[in-house]
Amino acid sequence: MSTTSLAERAEIRALARELASRELTPRAAALDAGGQDALHECWRLLVELGLDRALLDEQHAGAGLGIAELLATIEELAVGDAGIAMSVLLCNTALATLAGEQLAGVAAGTRWTLAPAAPGTELTLSDGRCDGRIACALGAYDADGLVILLDGPAPLAWTLDVSAGGCEIERDLAQMGLRAAPAASIEATGVSCVPALDGSNGGSAALGVADVLALLRAGTAAIAHGITRRAHEMALEYAHARHQGGVAIIEHDAVSDMLSAMAVRLACWPQPAAAPAGLATERAHALAAKITATDAAVASTTDAVQVFGGTGYMVETGIEKLMRDAKYCQLFPEPNWVAHDQLMRSQRSGRAA
Amino acid sequence: MRTMTPERSLSEQFPRLAHNGGVDAGELERLRLRAHRFAEEQVRPRALDIDRRAGEDPSWFDWDLVRAGGEAGMLGLLIPKPAGGGGGMATQAAVVMEELCAACPGIALIFGAHALGISPLLLGGPSQWDGVLAELVASEHTSEPQLMACAITEPEAGTDVEDPDLLRLARITSHARRVPGGFRLSGTKRFISNGSVARWITILMPTDPTAAAETWTCFLVDTRSEGFAVSRVEHKMGQRACPAAELTFDEVFVPDERIVGREGDGAAATTIVLACSRPPVAAIATGIARGAYERVLGWLREDPAAKGLLERQHVQLALAGMEEEIHLARQLYMDAATELDHTALGDAMSHPAVRALAHVPASIRGRAPVRGWLHSERTRDATVALLHRTTSERAVTRSLALSSMAKARGGDVAMRVTGAALELAGLRAGPVRAELEKLWRDAKLTQIYEGTNQLNRIEVYRGLCQAGTIQCLPPLRRIHPDTDNNAPANANARGHASANGNGGRS
Repeated sequence: MSTTSLAERAEIRALARELASRELTPRAAALDAGGQDALHECWRLLVELGLDRALLDEQHAGAGLGIAELLATIEELAVGDAGIAMSVLLCNTALATLAGEQLAGVAAGTRWTLAPAAPGTELTLSDGRCDGRIACALGAYDADGLVILLDGPAPLAWTLDVSAGGCEIERDLAQMGLRAAPAASIEATGVSCVPALDGSNGGSAALGVADVLALLRAGTAAIAHGITRRAHEMALEYAHARHQGGVAIIEHDAVSDMLSAMAVRLACWPQPAAAPAGLATERAHALAAKITATDAAVASTTDAVQVFGGTGYMVETGIEKLMRDAKYCQLFPEPNWVAHDQLMRSQRSGRAA
Repeated sequence: MRTMTPERSLSEQFPRLAHNGGVDAGELERLRLRAHRFAEEQVRPRALDIDRRAGEDPSWFDWDLVRAGGEAGMLGLLIPKPAGGGGGMATQAAVVMEELCAACPGIALIFGAHALGISPLLLGGPSQWDGVLAELVASEHTSEPQLMACAITEPEAGTDVEDPDLLRLARITSHARRVPGGFRLSGTKRFISNGSVARWITILMPTDPTAAAETWTCFLVDTRSEGFAVSRVEHKMGQRACPAAELTFDEVFVPDERIVGREGDGAAATTIVLACSRPPVAAIATGIARGAYERVLGWLREDPAAKGLLERQHVQLALAGMEEEIHLARQLYMDAATELDHTALGDAMSHPAVRALAHVPASIRGRAPVRGWLHSERTRDATVALLHRTTSERAVTRSLALSSMAKARGGDVAMRVTGAALELAGLRAGPVRAELEKLWRDAKLTQIYEGTNQLNRIEVYRGLCQAGTIQCLPPLRRIHPDTDNNAPANANARGHASANGNGGRS
């Protein structure tokens, strides 16, 4: 578990908030346009703060944050750019699965990602070799390392050698949201892979595959909440500045009703990692938080664009980007209808999702 | 995966069509099939590529597609038959829009914005048949088809300019200044669909900035005029195939004969145009929803990656919900369109005087004395009088409310259905995902343009809940014996419009 004090947590959060405001928000448009230079520069800044390996302990050059601190940090980053926040989440979850000796081989500052996959339909693993195809793996394009998470009855995590022959990674040019976590399709033909996840890397609680998935969902919820916050801030500011019918548009009920609904969604934020009541509870809670937060993000960003009217539909305002990012959160690591299904499956079977 | 054709014909789905004097159900069905064929053969195959190219360069435009649309009769649909067009009204435009939008809303918007640009000219009556409208028809089958656009929105006035009450308080910065022989137009118009590619633009500006609502006037602008400039083309979230431009007018001269209708009649004209254009916009939204539904259903049926999903009750319920929403959205827009065509404006368009003029050969209508008479102040007054005799402000208000209801509901349906389809498919769905994402991006605009959904619902309140009447017909005026004196119209004329409150049926 984390050993950081309350003051340290607040400081970490403040640092992330400042980074988002000073460095990420001004680069959000460039990141959205797929600019690799902007992505590399942002990544360099994140590495400086140790956020690429936030969950790892000092021995592994990590920041030693607990899950709650990581989620709070990710939320702050998402206010600046949700794609960057997703990259941080994916890198941290990927590294958290690695065995000690694997971790020792990970060069400083490299960007790893984690790709959840359905066993059988997408990938098959046999005798240390991997075959199949994963579409739209977030963060996989230009990543330095890749962990595959097979979510089945017996979940597994494997590292895949992305530089090996037989592994083709092609950028997903159609990616609509979270573009600073550049997606790719991964085509593997007999690529060698190594089991990960020994839970000995310290810093965080020992993570099983189900825990990693829960963290991925909780992190996605945190990102969605960051997006919701940003949408509300921008819409509120615009509603004061824009005049229609002789008054600021916030004076129109049609607009203030939408702003109020956004505020309510923010107030109902379920804080996925706030209740450390045992992993089983947390996993179900992470699913519920992911569903709630991402649905709220889609609703609030859609309303925010509506508050902006025609201006909001234009890319330069940056508000429609939030809508696209929010939609991707709703679909990752699984679409929300599947998340609902997972939640109920755990209820039916009486075991954790 | 090809799109599906409905099992029931339009007249089977909408029995009211058979009793609608202005619409031949069989002709409408043939039109729908023609649009469907054009959409399948020309629009859908290019949709993703055009979206990508226009995403990289917003000013990129596919003129080949416009030429193909001209060949398929998609450009002259609304132009009156005496001018050589298809003679369609809201119903025809809506049916075509649904078909095109199921394939690609951005491409459909090129034709929709063109129709919107034409709409104010239709209110100008026979005086407009032989000018630009005939030129548009003549260009339709050439290598250089001409497009139109309609420019209303300004940088500081968006929702304002689409509502007669808000218009009085709007921050209008454009101005049409009276000069000998016409007007000089100055100002900026924003988010104008087709604005950067249009040959002609119908534009609304006040002739007196201190009384914008009372002097709101429609002009027909030649984009080759000195002082006209495209100042920027916007980078949009969706519907990218149709460029949205900011247009700058720097003392652009417009001669008197290119005032559409009469000076000061612009607010009424805008209201009627919106009543006409909102059913097709509702159809755009319905088409988007249908396109998403058809694609996700095709994916579920055909893609091995979706194996077994159709057996899931959740998926079945979601598909049923989409089907339900699309069906209701279509009923709403068809009801609004037929109401408008049949009840609100149909009698004006098919009035014996209009039909009689249609029998006069264009060569005679083009002769100087006849042409002078058609463009005279007297004839413009008579056109307005005919409108008053054939419809009422209450009928148009009610029609506007139904159109607004269809538009607002349609926009919401488009967002819900595209969002649900994308969620069913998820990020791993393969090529169909890109199509669904595009439709979802495209859908959002339907909640915004042609008045935000919120404004549209205020229209529903006024027209149906309150059963109110908007001052939406241009005012009646005494017909002067001196017909062509070019005197500026009375800026306060709207003040005594329709004093009988019943649209001047007397």
